[in-house]
Amino acid sequence: MAVELSRLVSSGDTSNKRSVCEPVCIGKPGFEKEQNLGGQDTDTGQREGGHWPDGGQNAGGQGFHGGFYVRLAVTNLRKNGKAYLPYLLTCIITVLMFYVLSAIAKNDGLNELRGVESMRSVMRAVLAVVGIFATIFLLYTNNILIKQRKKELGLYHVLGLDKGNLARMLLWESVITTVASLVAGILGGILLGKLLFLILLKLMRFSVPLAFSIEMEAVKESVLVFGAIFLVSFLRNVWQIGRTNPVDLLHGSQEGEREPKTKILPTIIGVAALAVGYYIAQATDDPLSAVINIFVAVVLVIIATYTLFMAGSIAFLKFLKRRKNYYYQTRHFTNVSGMLYRMKQNAVGMANICIMSCAVLSLISVTLSLYLGAEDMLRTRYPRECLANVYQVGTERVEKENQIVEEETDRAGVRIENRVSAHLGTFTTLWDGERMSFVDEDAATIALDQLYGIYVIPLEDYNRMEKKDVSLKNGEALFYMPDKTFGKDTFWIGETEVRVKEELHSLAAEELSTSAVTKVIWLVVDGVETVEELVGQYSAIGRDGFFYMDGFDIEGGEEARAKAWQSINARMQEEMGDAAVFWREERRESYYMSNGGYLFIGMFAGALFLVGMILIIYYKQISEGHDDRERFQIMKKVGMSQKEIRATIRSQVLMVFFLPLATAVLHIAFAFHIFSTVLRAFGLSNTMLEVSCTAGTIGVFAAFYVAVFFLMSREYYRIVR
Amino acid sequence: MTLLEVQNVKKIYTTRNGGNQVEALRDVNFSVESGEFVAIMGESGSGKTTLLNILAALDKPTGGKVKLKGQDLSLVKEREMAAFRRENLGFVFQDFNLLDTFSLEDNIYLPLVLAGQKHVVMAKRLWPIAQELGITPLLKKYPYEVSGGQKQRAAVARALITKPQIILADEPTGALDSKAADELMRIFGQINQEGQTILMVTHSVKAASHAGRVLFIKDGEVFHQIYRGNQSDEEMYQKITASLTVLMTGGER
Repeated sequence: MAVELSRLVSSGDTSNKRSVCEPVCIGKPGFEKEQNLGGQDTDTGQREGGHWPDGGQNAGGQGFHGGFYVRLAVTNLRKNGKAYLPYLLTCIITVLMFYVLSAIAKNDGLNELRGVESMRSVMRAVLAVVGIFATIFLLYTNNILIKQRKKELGLYHVLGLDKGNLARMLLWESVITTVASLVAGILGGILLGKLLFLILLKLMRFSVPLAFSIEMEAVKESVLVFGAIFLVSFLRNVWQIGRTNPVDLLHGSQEGEREPKTKILPTIIGVAALAVGYYIAQATDDPLSAVINIFVAVVLVIIATYTLFMAGSIAFLKFLKRRKNYYYQTRHFTNVSGMLYRMKQNAVGMANICIMSCAVLSLISVTLSLYLGAEDMLRTRYPRECLANVYQVGTERVEKENQIVEEETDRAGVRIENRVSAHLGTFTTLWDGERMSFVDEDAATIALDQLYGIYVIPLEDYNRMEKKDVSLKNGEALFYMPDKTFGKDTFWIGETEVRVKEELHSLAAEELSTSAVTKVIWLVVDGVETVEELVGQYSAIGRDGFFYMDGFDIEGGEEARAKAWQSINARMQEEMGDAAVFWREERRESYYMSNGGYLFIGMFAGALFLVGMILIIYYKQISEGHDDRERFQIMKKVGMSQKEIRATIRSQVLMVFFLPLATAVLHIAFAFHIFSTVLRAFGLSNTMLEVSCTAGTIGVFAAFYVAVFFLMSREYYRIVR
Repeated sequence: MTLLEVQNVKKIYTTRNGGNQVEALRDVNFSVESGEFVAIMGESGSGKTTLLNILAALDKPTGGKVKLKGQDLSLVKEREMAAFRRENLGFVFQDFNLLDTFSLEDNIYLPLVLAGQKHVVMAKRLWPIAQELGITPLLKKYPYEVSGGQKQRAAVARALITKPQIILADEPTGALDSKAADELMRIFGQINQEGQTILMVTHSVKAASHAGRVLFIKDGEVFHQIYRGNQSDEEMYQKITASLTVLMTGGER
């Protein structure tokens, strides 16, 4: 092979037919080369790629014909198939998913759906995340691949390809990979996209068929994004090669691994971050603070995961190693030292896998909970089937509303039940336990746990609904805090002292407005005028904070109920203007539409993370297998039996494999509380459902993970044996 | 007492796609007495490594028998094989075969740990060996931190610590500079003086000249042997060189 190449490189004379050797033989010794060795070149088509383009004037390596590099590149890719195929597959899947998401986000048919804009913006955001994620992990795997190939590239270099030639060869490899993944990915996207789009519509409970056509915009976007990614990885490869000298290239992968040092500080930081992160996740009970705290907790736990995998694991193993009676036992000896070595190399990868698992698990379990909990959320948000809001409140308007509701339900032949109605004034305040103070818009920070919604209803409505005959003087109020007891005789609204005439423990009007996000206090004051006065004084939205609400269920056939609501709604819009009627059935549609959309996006992103993770695990196991092979060969020679070797391998592979999963499950278990608090902000407070969604997601995920484990460990044994 | 007997050992390799058969060992016969220091020489491809692999029970002969202290190696059960090797054989390799993940001390302990020995026992055994081989100050170092000669001495310590019946050495000086090679052969001579049986495969005339007996292998057979008797290393060297010349110019004459 060396002879052939040197002849190829040094010869500048095309008239000498013997010198026109089949260049492919460099990449694949013994393949096709015999055809031209005899010097009787009759098949000109066969050796086209080997001709010097410049008539042999250029004697150096620059003289290779372009086709030469193409064929070299193809041969290289084929030879490295085992390593490149998974990479190519991942590229294709990533392009496919990117295209599909982009195409769905751009689909015109979706315009027919109400509220589609918010979902579209979520999709665009997720698309950006997909793009970033694809960049990171495609670059990461490309890096692993080029490292593995350093020796091969070094050999080419020694055999006479200079760095420019190598770059051209790599360029063709990149071009082939790029074109293959873009074409296959986009074609697959066009085919599979339709199916995925149907699934999305199904999840959104949208029955009108929408066309899913080829979106040229999405094609363009995919080509641009992935073209850029592949360009960057190509440039990185060239830079890598340019930087190293040929001898280093040849020895590429063999560098003595030093034993890692114990790093105390990062370990302590990691433990502290984990403790604080877990504590925050456990201690946050208030949905509004949860939204912010969840970020803090996630960042802390990510920091903890990385530092603990990187430093904590080594500190722990070093500790085990110092305990001589433990360390010098047959099982522990090879495991502890092996793990020490592995953790040094793999900590980052394992932490990546752990974080990605957490992302997959939380994305899917949260969106699944939202989707399956839609009914719960509807009931929480709309305790009554119908809810009418009348603004610009006045006696005639209230009577008019009553009249419309009664007339139209009569006409539709349905009955009104469980009716609750009241004048309602609302404003927001900071409640410190006895005083309501008002939010200064300039204030930099707000104590979220002090944020309360105040609902005020007049005494007439209270007495009517509760069938009571309470009387109140000005400066007196009935006080009600859901799920809590106040216990004091007076409280303050701003600078005004109010006497608590009675503290209530239930309130029918509560059914009218349930706030999942903020905590609330209900007040009953002496009359409508007082309610208006308070709202005028304290509500940030002025008179809009004062309205009349009428909630009721309708009993009757499905069609009749729909008809009743439609005509009530139509007449209210027409005759009253500033009023709105919500019907739970109608809201259900929009709930499913948005939650179905989120579930789709969640599963989509989850699937992408999963693919990325499997890829990373695959390369990790393969490259580790090659490293470990030598070690196990030595142990075998020194007297370790096949059985012992197998046992050792199994326990180490198990640990490396399942440590990230176990950690991820632990993280999710601790995150459950804060997730469930955030879900409460969406109106979902069904713990059983959330538990089963999370457990189910973990179960399915773990099943996938175990399947991957079996596939990978088989490959691993094959290498090590 | 005869420690190792090799009787009519034969080894034929069949290439993977069938067909071609390669005869690595045709008919090898020799025996090693307890306390001997034997060197086996031969050209590349003469079957030295195959022979050593068979003696180490890493490979099985196609025909013939290898007996260690009267026990036929082919009759040792597969699952007892690792333990058998550990207890009876010590290995020294050309490329040291030390694990980078262990300190020299732990590398030396490895066979004992595999045998399930207590740390106290191992430490007690290590001390005199490390002293003799002059590696006591290096014990806490890692293989990549010490020189080739030092690595090989650690590997010898690893072979000695199990108190094996015989040490099998495969080109032990192959990766060493001449000074380190001389030092290693001095150590081999010394441990042989103390009663350790050694069987060494080598290319190096210099290394072989330290042995008590040299066997020459050619074309899969023991072709010739030289006994040291009372000769010095230098005289031994001359004799080996002469034998090799005969061997290379074609022994049939």
